[in-house]
Amino acid sequence: MLTYAMRRLLGLVPVLAVAVVLTFIAIQAIPGDPILIMLSDQSADKALAARLRAEYGLDLPLWQQFLNYIRGVATGDFGKSFRFVGVPVIDVIKDALMISPVLALAATALAVPVGVIVGVFAALRRNSWADTTVILVLIAGISIPNFALSAFLVFIFAVKLGIVPVAGWGTLEQAVLPVTILAVPPAAYIARLSRTYMLEVLQQDYIRTARAKGLSRRLVVYRHALRNTLVPLLTTIGIIFGGLLSAAFVVETIFNIPGLGRMAIQAIFSRDYPVTMAIVLLFTAFYALINLLVDVLYGVIDPRIRLGGGPT
Amino acid sequence: MTVQITAPGFWQSEFAVRFRRNRNAVAGSIIVAFVVLVAVFGPFVAPYAYDDTDLLGTWAEPSREHLLGGDQLGRDILSRLIVGARVSLLVAISVLSITLAVGILMGMIAGYFGGWADGLIMRTSDIIFAFPELIFAILVAAVMGPSKLTVIVSLSIVWWPGIARLTRALVLQLRNELYVDAAIACGTGPFTILFRHLLPNIVAPLIVRASIGVGFIVMAEATLSFLGIGVQEPEPSWGGMIRDGLVGLRTDPYLALFGSMALGLAIIGFNLLGDGLRDLLDPKIRDR
Repeated sequence: MLTYAMRRLLGLVPVLAVAVVLTFIAIQAIPGDPILIMLSDQSADKALAARLRAEYGLDLPLWQQFLNYIRGVATGDFGKSFRFVGVPVIDVIKDALMISPVLALAATALAVPVGVIVGVFAALRRNSWADTTVILVLIAGISIPNFALSAFLVFIFAVKLGIVPVAGWGTLEQAVLPVTILAVPPAAYIARLSRTYMLEVLQQDYIRTARAKGLSRRLVVYRHALRNTLVPLLTTIGIIFGGLLSAAFVVETIFNIPGLGRMAIQAIFSRDYPVTMAIVLLFTAFYALINLLVDVLYGVIDPRIRLGGGPT
Repeated sequence: MTVQITAPGFWQSEFAVRFRRNRNAVAGSIIVAFVVLVAVFGPFVAPYAYDDTDLLGTWAEPSREHLLGGDQLGRDILSRLIVGARVSLLVAISVLSITLAVGILMGMIAGYFGGWADGLIMRTSDIIFAFPELIFAILVAAVMGPSKLTVIVSLSIVWWPGIARLTRALVLQLRNELYVDAAIACGTGPFTILFRHLLPNIVAPLIVRASIGVGFIVMAEATLSFLGIGVQEPEPSWGGMIRDGLVGLRTDPYLALFGSMALGLAIIGFNLLGDGLRDLLDPKIRDR
């Protein structure tokens, strides 16, 4: 088991290495001289420009800049912000660091139980009008983009009914709408999968055996079928987290939440590329780690995966 | 007495009958047909030009002149939604054509030739898969600057590996078939085998995959435009309209609400159709 986990952890190295190289190339490829942009109306001041260039290490040959970048990333130093001159990137983003992951975790914690309950509910009433309605709602839940859903929900619950605040961050009321909106697509996705898995599991021989030996329908569903439905769901957590991190950009922007997603978007528009790239790197690393955790956990539950080399 | 022999037409074929019985597919194709019609012919019948500003009619309420009201510059919301449909579909069609062309070619090369080409293509796709989709698109957008081209390029980069992997898996299944050996024995070149002999046999699952992808591409374009790194003003995009509308949601909700309805309905239509086609053509392919 440990060797499997180690092998997966080593597999992470090339992915992160490429991400580091790509972000470095991206900063280089962006048109315009960051120092001149930083100086704006003082760009004629050659001495100041030279000093800043030295401070940012931009006067070094490219290969040396690259080595510094790698060394920095490895030690958690992402360089200095272009927008806040002289301020290290890590200081710019440190207050925002935990907000996106917390939002994603809260949304997952809401989405998984709701999704499973709805999915099982629909599966047990296969082809009834309730099942059909649920399927339609699920397709809508997966289809409607989070910002379109936000428009409806903010209008109804914040503007018309005034139950929750329109935007902001810090209180529990302010978190209700963002977390709900983040949770809708994964909940719909989980519900759809658990409905499918449940229908498959209910056709298995061991379910018929359990029913034949006289167990109640309720016991069979919750003791035998549900457990076997939950295991394959675990693999979807990785996909769900990828979606949630992406959704954080949108939802944080809409609700004015000072997380990394909103910060990355602001950094793009203020041409603060070191900040943008640091956030891209952090999200990628976080996403890779979640996927790794899920795979290892799945290996613990289902030994076939370890031997096969990874879930398909 | 004459006996009339007619080949069963398309509408009597097994596919068409099963299609009509699939409620999702029918509902989806009606919505998609409507969106496509609006995108193709709508701009000719739209009441106003999409960039026709009227500063006295900013945030106009829905009325006989402006059926869905006006936006922050007094532009007709209905007209902009109609042109927005065209923009959205053009981006989706561009991304779909590029990803299908590149993905199928790469997948075929990887699956048929194997070896270092396979390794190179699959490792490249691994790297792209390692990024959450939207984040890779944002990386590209940061480098290229916000524009419609940025959206097409970044979404194409994100989407082709999925098509390539599917194609590769399908080619691997078929490459040891007898008819492939026969073609090789006849001296047929590898690319003739790939495109003449293998492609027709793998086209159904690829159609399914592409049709499921359209909804997601439309959503991704709208999301990038919403964030301001996609389609730029004055060209209308549903995502950008919703962003502008959210600002005035408290007092003038029509732009955000009608924009969200148009976008949501269109994506629901594409996903219903995609799901229906999947059920009909390839029951083996499940969610992504």
